[in-house]
This record gives sequence, C-alpha cells and structure tokens, in this order.
Amino acid sequence: MAYALVALGFVLALNAAGAVNFAHGDLVVLGGAVAVLLVGWLGLPGILLLPLVALALAAAGIVAAHVAILPLARRPPEATFVATIALAAMIEQGLTLTMGAAPHTTPPFLGSGAVTITIAGAGATLGLQPLAIVLVGGVLVAGLWLLLERTQVGRRMRAVAADRHMARAVGIPVARYVTLSLALSGALAGIAGFLLGHQFLVTPTQGAGHMLKAYIAVALGGWGSVPGALIGALAIGVFETFVSASIGDAWASAALYIAVLLVLTVRPRGLFGEPVGQRA
Amino acid sequence: MAERLATLVGLYALLGLGYQIVFGQLRALNLAQGALFGVGAYATALTAEQIGPFALLVAPLAAGAVAALAAPPMLRLQSHYFALATLALASLINLVALHAEGLTGGANGLVGFGVALPRGTTLAIVVWLVLIAAVIAYAFVFRGAMGEKARLLREAPLVAATLGIDGALWRFTAFVVGGAVAGLAGGFSAALTGVVSPEATGFSVMLLCLTAVVLGGARHPLGAVLGAAVAVLLPELFRGLQGSWLLAYAAATLAVVLWAPEGLAGLFTRPRAATLPRPIAPAARPLHLVLTGVSKRFGGVEALGDVSFAVERSEVVGLIGPNGSGKTTLLNVISGLERADSGTIVLDSIGLEHLPPHAIARLGIGRTFQTPIEGESRGAGLARAVSNGAAFLLLDEPAAGMTDRERDALAHWLERLRRTRGIVLVDHDIELLTRVCDRLVCLEGGRIIAVGSPAEVRADPRVRASFLGVPA
Repeated sequence: MAYALVALGFVLALNAAGAVNFAHGDLVVLGGAVAVLLVGWLGLPGILLLPLVALALAAAGIVAAHVAILPLARRPPEATFVATIALAAMIEQGLTLTMGAAPHTTPPFLGSGAVTITIAGAGATLGLQPLAIVLVGGVLVAGLWLLLERTQVGRRMRAVAADRHMARAVGIPVARYVTLSLALSGALAGIAGFLLGHQFLVTPTQGAGHMLKAYIAVALGGWGSVPGALIGALAIGVFETFVSASIGDAWASAALYIAVLLVLTVRPRGLFGEPVGQRA
Repeated sequence: MAERLATLVGLYALLGLGYQIVFGQLRALNLAQGALFGVGAYATALTAEQIGPFALLVAPLAAGAVAALAAPPMLRLQSHYFALATLALASLINLVALHAEGLTGGANGLVGFGVALPRGTTLAIVVWLVLIAAVIAYAFVFRGAMGEKARLLREAPLVAATLGIDGALWRFTAFVVGGAVAGLAGGFSAALTGVVSPEATGFSVMLLCLTAVVLGGARHPLGAVLGAAVAVLLPELFRGLQGSWLLAYAAATLAVVLWAPEGLAGLFTRPRAATLPRPIAPAARPLHLVLTGVSKRFGGVEALGDVSFAVERSEVVGLIGPNGSGKTTLLNVISGLERADSGTIVLDSIGLEHLPPHAIARLGIGRTFQTPIEGESRGAGLARAVSNGAAFLLLDEPAAGMTDRERDALAHWLERLRRTRGIVLVDHDIELLTRVCDRLVCLEGGRIIAVGSPAEVRADPRVRASFLGVPA
C-alpha cells in the first residue's frame, strides 16, 4: 500500500510534467527525513506529524516544479530527466551531509502516546504500523480519486495531463496546475516516506530504489493511468513478498527486473498499453 | 598523483564519449552506460592473470556483447520505456556483481590482478592515445551527412525514415558501440585502481558519466573531455569539502541543463553555416509508381477505399479533396508510414506494401510533411526530399502559408523538378494545381470521385459540389 502511495505521487508528477520525475524517490526519503527531524525538535506523536510532513513535502514538490520542470517545459523530455536526476542527487547528497549515511527510524503513526495499544497491536498478528499504512493509504487513494474524478480542480488537472496545449487554449493556467500536481505528488511521497520509515528505516541512498519501483509500477500498469499505477504497485508488492520469501531479497529484485525486461519485450508500451499515437 | 588524475580524466572522457553517441546523437537516455563500464572492469579483472595486457581488449568485447544481447528488445522502446529498461538492466548487472560471489567476489570485489596490466605512465599514455583517436573518429563520423542524419533521427524520426535512414540499425549500432567504449573505459579503470568492486557497476558511475556529458556538451566532440576534466578535477581541488562535492556536481548539472543546454563546449563554438549538399540527380529507374485497389481503415472509418492510379516520371499528379478525404493517409501508405489493409503499391516491379519506410525511401520515393521540423523553414523539407535523388516525390501541401510570390517560385521549381521526376502534389490551391499538374485526382471519403486533366476535373459536377463549393 505504501508502494501505491509512492506510485500515485509519481504518476501525478508524470502526467503534469509530461516526463519522468527521477527525484520522486528522493522526495519519499526526504519525507522520512523530515519526520525524523521534526520528531527530534517537537516530539509530536505520529498522527500530528503526518500533516506537517505532507505540508513540508508539498513545498518541496513546488520547489521541484519551479526548478526542474516548468523551465524545461518546451524542451524534449530528456532535459527534464537529466534535471530531475540532478535534483535527486542533490537531495541524496544533501541528506547524507546533514543526517549522515546511517539509517534512522521514523516514529510510528499510531502509538507513541499510547504505549499500551502498541504492545497490544504488536501482540496481534497484524502489526499496528502496517495497519496504519493500509488505513492511511486507503483514505488517501479514495481522496485522490474523489479529487480527480469529482471536482473541477481534478478535471482541470486531468485536462492538463491529457493535452497541455489544448488545456491552455481553453483557458486553464497550465503552470499553476503543474505546480499543484507536483505539490500533491510531493505530499504523497512525503507521507509514504514517513510511513515506510518506521519499518524499513530512512537512509539517504534509498531514493533510487523507491523511484525504480514506482517507475516499474507505472510502466506496467499503463503510462499515466492512475488506477494502473495502483494495480502495478500492488502487483509489485505481492510479487516481492512471495518471491523474496522463497528465494531471498536480492534474487527477488533480480527476478523483478527480469520480469520488467520481459514484459517490455513483449509489450513495448506496458501491460495495458498507452493510447498515444506517433506524430511526424 | 598528477598521472593518476590524468588517467582518470582520460578514462571518464572515454566513457562519456561513448555515451555521447547514444545520448547526445540519438537522444536515447541509456541508464546502463555506468553498468557496462562495470562489466568492462570485471571482464579485465577476471582475465588479466591469464592473458596479461590483452585483458584490456576483453573489456569492450564483453560490454559490447552484453549491450548487443540486451539491445534488440530494448531499442524498440520509446523514450521513457527505454530509460526504464536500461535502468532495470543496470540494476540487474549491479545485483549480479554483488551476489554472484563465485564469479565477482561479491561485495569485496576482485583484487590482485593489477600486476599483469599496464600501469602508471604507460597506462596514462595508452588511455590518452585511445581517447584522442576516439575523439577524432567521433568528430569525423558526425561531421557531415552522418551528423545531419543523426539530427533528423533525434528531431523527427518519421522524416528520417522517409529519407531512407534505418533508425533501428542506427540505434543498435550506437548502443553497442557506446557500450563497448564504456567497457574499455571500465577496463582502464580496473588497471588504474587494481580493484574492482560492485561500486563500478553502481549508479554513481552513471551519474558521473551523465554529469560529464551534460556539463561538457552532449554532442560536441570535445564535450565529454571537457566535462570529464571538470567532473574529475573540481572535486580534487575541493577535497576539503568531502562529500559535498557530489552535491556541487548535481547542482552544476542542473544549472547547465537550465541555462546552457549545449554544455560548456557549446559556449566556445558558434554554430557554423552548413555546407549545402550537392543534389543527387535521380537514377534512370524506377519509372512507374502504380497503386491498385488500395484500402485502409482506421477502426470503423474507411480512410481509403479501392484507390487506384499511376504516376510516371516527368508527370505531376495533383491530389485534391476536402479535409479528411484521405490525401495525407494516401501519402503515408505509399511511403510506408501506414500499412494498407489491401491493394498493391508497385514501383516498377517491386511491391512496396510490406517494406519499412526507410527501404521504400531508398528505392526512390521522397516526401515532405505538412508541418516543418521546429526551427526549420518549409523549404528545408523540400530541399531534403530532393537531396537524395528520389525519383518520385510526394509533396504534402507545400504551398500552405506561402505568399503569392513564393507560390510562383514553387511553381517554377516544380517545373524544373518534373523534368527528371514523378510528383504527387497534395494542395488546396486549385489555381497552382491547374498550372503545374498534368492530371488531377479528386478524393472524397477515401474514394476517387474524379480523374482527368485539371480542366476536366474542375468541370466535374461532383468535384464542384464537394470540393470547390460551387453548385453543380
């Protein structure tokens, strides 16, 4: 479910920018790092921390939009790739410098204040944190769906994603909606980083891994499709759980990459295809 | 110390130069270049004890072989899928380096092979000689027509195909040659350090390579050399900053992407005026282009239905019809960009229906498109179409947006071209068509409704009703 949040944020940024945001994985890590820092300063419980992390990363998303995406809107998508790769490296190195290469752990989402519950939760078969991830993830996915499908803002975001020239022609301020999408994307990444950070720790070098998984989820699920990204992310989660249980983590990743190469060999435009034609 | 730095600059410049072929010339974001560098390093390390300095030659072979194996399925992919596939390949290579302990020594890597390889000054000289040779070769290859072909493949792949450029072959060659060069650089790096660890296949090498190429200039022959010099020497200068040099790198890359898209090398060179290629006169053959019963459907829409006509050399056939009547689709079907569902298209005795666009172009069919490539004038497309000696020209609305004087010039030019060529001309300017065409073919809803001399077709009641807007 946390993968789903990462992938959803990724697909939002992708649609808005028309190009891959290679810094997305590092925004996830940044979310975890912000949570670690904030808890050090303020000592807030997880439930209050969540909106703060989301806000901070929304701001980071806006910065990313203004630094690496909007100025390159008229250039080929590869320019955005390179710019966001550079941005990703900056975030990674910046975090290594400020918090060191050692892993940190974020506070749990539920608990902290009510220790007894955590212990009870740990005693049950379902851990409290995985439960929280599924809960928060479910709420956010539902909220995002409502936003995109049921509101004027969401319709405009989709219009910008589908055809930015047409969107501009009918009077939508494209740059503002690109920025908005990136802010949302950043917030989702931040929340995912915060939630993942408790179980899987936060290390500056994780970004590329997060990004790669989101990238795979989106490529398999159908480029730019929001439900596709969701299905892709869940599929990766299931795949990793089952395969790594039988052959170990490293070879599970290898199997995943091989599977991706095979899928792309057979279906060069992802499992569910991409309804985009070629132009002269 | 200085020697080590010189060698480092040289080998990273070589890595970057290999990358320029793929990323700079063809704009394919290959994220496996760093991993192929690692493959070369491992290949050298594994064979050094058996064959000594020849192990350096194994490096490009091994990396080139890996690239060639992976290439066929990957090169069909469009930009972001290609980036993903190369990223997956790189991650796979990295995993093998880390976990196939029997072969690669796992996380500890391989050591102790360095004594069998050239070192010190010898190595520095070898690296720089290879680099200089490679830079000269690169500059030579991409200087003239090859450079222009690469630009077309990059900016307008469809136009490239209709000029007879085989994009798939180009991409394959660039990917494999670029990978082999990366492997050679990796082999040199193994010789320099005497250690090969999984880090050699990691993303930091890829990042360094990308940085160097973007910083220096993605296409300029000296771009990678300049970029590598900056990327290797600057961190040495600022050693006191420790880890933050990587941060500075990334910031510098971003700044260059934003403000100097041609890189550092681009700041020093002004673009030169291109020398005009000498037009090639068409060969004696082919003589006839014959379409018989050509049909094409898009889903439920019949774009072309049973279209038959012929064009001879030194003949101009005008194609008219309302918008959406199938004129451009017909040109696309002839040039191979779309496949006809049925019917035959025969050039002398060769059937074109199943040939790829570049092969059709090489048989002697050139064409222009309605929209010019960004930054070019309309004339550039016309000039390109006639430059390779095509015997038949398919011109898609060449007069659109032209002034009356330009139309006059176009008419004169067509008169000259028709002496040696056959021309199919799509346009809406019925006066121009009447002036230059021997015959007009009028399409409506994908079917031919009238054929004949301009005067006959203009007098046809159906043509008058459907196209000229005059009541019959």
